[in-house]
Amino acid sequence: MSDNELVNQQFPVKVEQPGGSGNIFARVFDELTAFCRSRSLFILHYCTGCGAIELPPAMTSRFDMERLGISPMVSPRQADILLITGYVSVKTLKRVILTYEQMGSPKYVIGICSCTVNGGMYWQSYATAKKLNDYMPVDLYIAGCMPRPEAVITGLRQLMENIRRGEANGWQDYYQRYDHYLGHQQRLFGETWQTPTDVIAEAKHYGLFSNETLGEHTKLLQQHQKPLEALEMRLGLDSKDKVEP
Amino acid sequence: MSETHLPVERLSIILGEFKDVRVRKRGDRRTRVDVEPDALPALLELLKGRSGFVHLSAISCVDWPDDDQFELVYHLWSYELQLLVSVHTRIARDPGVYVSVYDIYHPAGFFERDIHEMYGVFFEGAPDMEKFILTEWDGPPPMRKEFDSEAWVNDHFDWQNYRPDWLIELEQQGGGIVIPPDEQRFSRRGMQEPDDES
Ligand code: SF4
Repeated sequence: MSDNELVNQQFPVKVEQPGGSGNIFARVFDELTAFCRSRSLFILHYCTGCGAIELPPAMTSRFDMERLGISPMVSPRQADILLITGYVSVKTLKRVILTYEQMGSPKYVIGICSCTVNGGMYWQSYATAKKLNDYMPVDLYIAGCMPRPEAVITGLRQLMENIRRGEANGWQDYYQRYDHYLGHQQRLFGETWQTPTDVIAEAKHYGLFSNETLGEHTKLLQQHQKPLEALEMRLGLDSKDKVEP
Repeated sequence: MSETHLPVERLSIILGEFKDVRVRKRGDRRTRVDVEPDALPALLELLKGRSGFVHLSAISCVDWPDDDQFELVYHLWSYELQLLVSVHTRIARDPGVYVSVYDIYHPAGFFERDIHEMYGVFFEGAPDMEKFILTEWDGPPPMRKEFDSEAWVNDHFDWQNYRPDWLIELEQQGGGIVIPPDEQRFSRRGMQEPDDES
């Protein structure tokens, strides 16, 4: 095999099926990967609201989440868990969805705070989205206003356990029922809503394409979708704000 | 005491130059001044120039739909007198146009822009009346009293399902939520107000 062929080869992504049948020795490796995956997680914290303040103590010496194998990460590309800590306004929600779609799979979402569950004390606010799981799959909610670091740690441990058992499959749901999520997003953001990520192509890539991936909402999306264009590179100031000596 | 006495007198001399000014002392360091809208910019100019109220800490807006008016409140602070003067004025709600005080106090630019998007008051002469915080908002100005945010919420968002199937099973076994969601509804709209007898 030449080098070129190697590069062009796609790496197959293994989708665990809990309780799957077949060769028991194959399951050993699945379980091993799931175990390893659950023990090394990077979290990206999208700190939208007040609840974020419980994360520093959860991360640092007293509760020390790194001893669980979880550590913070600054970029969505490297992160496994997206923590959404608090109310999501409509404006923020767009950014949250963008961030989520940029994360590589498998990816997990934790909604921290009551506000992500039902709008919390902003239930009557015109700007705050209630029910985060309408817009993106949420693997776990940690309720509370705000949840204590102990609760955060407990939630993370629960997520680790779910990953180990192959039950944290929200990300697959996003590909499989993309039309459902997109519909909710369009309801809030208008029908011209789009992100640069081609979720449908990704769904095919991961082999998670199902008959609910496409639907009326994705049709609407395809009407409006503009292909991604490279940003123009420019050096120096625009002529209008050029400073005359 | 005598140090602060003089400038305070200066303040009352300035305020005395205006007719139709109502001054009420609200505390040791707070004074409320009510003034007609056309006299307000001149008053601010004098307060800033002659008695050192150089800091405009905020402009707030109050909606009085029953009077068909907006009340604008200019909060001025003097470092010299250590005194907060709030200058109140009322403008007509319709068309809701007033002059900008940007040329007197530059921070006013931000406050006016904010009031413009939250209440729809237009400030003539302001450098920028573009959207500020609500950049992706296309509804009516949300802080106006007639904006029914609950109705808005009800038609734009869905509520969490408080009775998922697994909970119904629990309820049949005698557990679950004690007060059913439709009774503990946040909204008291359409419900009878309890009598105030106690
Ligand atoms: S649940 Fe409470 S602490 Fe959390 S974001 Fe909402 S208001 Fe803030």
